[in-house]
Amino acid sequence: MLASRAFSLIGKRAISTSICVRAHGHGNQKPEWVSLLFPCTAGVVKAEDFSLPAYVDRRDVPLPEVAFVRDLSAQQKALKEKEKASWTALSVDEKVELYRIKFNESYAEMNKGTNEWKTVLGGVLFFLGITGLILIWQKHYMYGPIPHTFSDEWLSMQTKRMLDMRINPVEGISAQWDFEKNEWKK
Amino acid sequence: LARGVQHTAVRQAHRKHEPNFHDKYGNLVLLGGAAAFTAVWGYVLTQAGIEWGLSPVGRITPKEWRE
Repeated sequence: MLASRAFSLIGKRAISTSICVRAHGHGNQKPEWVSLLFPCTAGVVKAEDFSLPAYVDRRDVPLPEVAFVRDLSAQQKALKEKEKASWTALSVDEKVELYRIKFNESYAEMNKGTNEWKTVLGGVLFFLGITGLILIWQKHYMYGPIPHTFSDEWLSMQTKRMLDMRINPVEGISAQWDFEKNEWKK
Repeated sequence: LARGVQHTAVRQAHRKHEPNFHDKYGNLVLLGGAAAFTAVWGYVLTQAGIEWGLSPVGRITPKEWRE
């Protein structure tokens, strides 16, 4: 379709009188329409791969611009010839081979999940563990002794004194203590 | 039936891709990391002598303080 549009642009005159080398049949160096629009391209640098239409495995591109396999083996070329005849003559394996020529990964293969999350999560937990090692080092080598007001004896006396003073009786510590039974509320 | 056979053949014809790092070591990294994490933080939280300042409620038994 694109080729016929290019034809009408240039006019039949340029095609029939062109003496320049055309890329037709020279194994996929450039698409045919390039040589129709730019007939005299002998002596130009070969088109780099990245400048040509590319194959891509993407969910939102169901039919990529080119087939996956660019250079067909002799066996594959024979199969492509057979494809031009009736498709009922093709075996299942041949149909699969034709598919694999056109496409790299199937949608199932493309969408397949991986086990990457295990490596990520395991790595995260490991480095968080290293953070804990830092805390251990700090406690051992850096911090001094904690104040004496954190000893069990002091905390016991401190707690009783707070309860005797009825500290925070509505929702706080005194509200959690049962003064009748002399124990913490359940 | 023919279509079912074809679908089966396509499924079976899937090339088994070479296992990557996550396939080979993912479980090991996950469990190893979890074990390291649990071990270190288990120690930090209980044995290292760090004062966490937890609430006395339900924990401390009040003791007479008046002399």
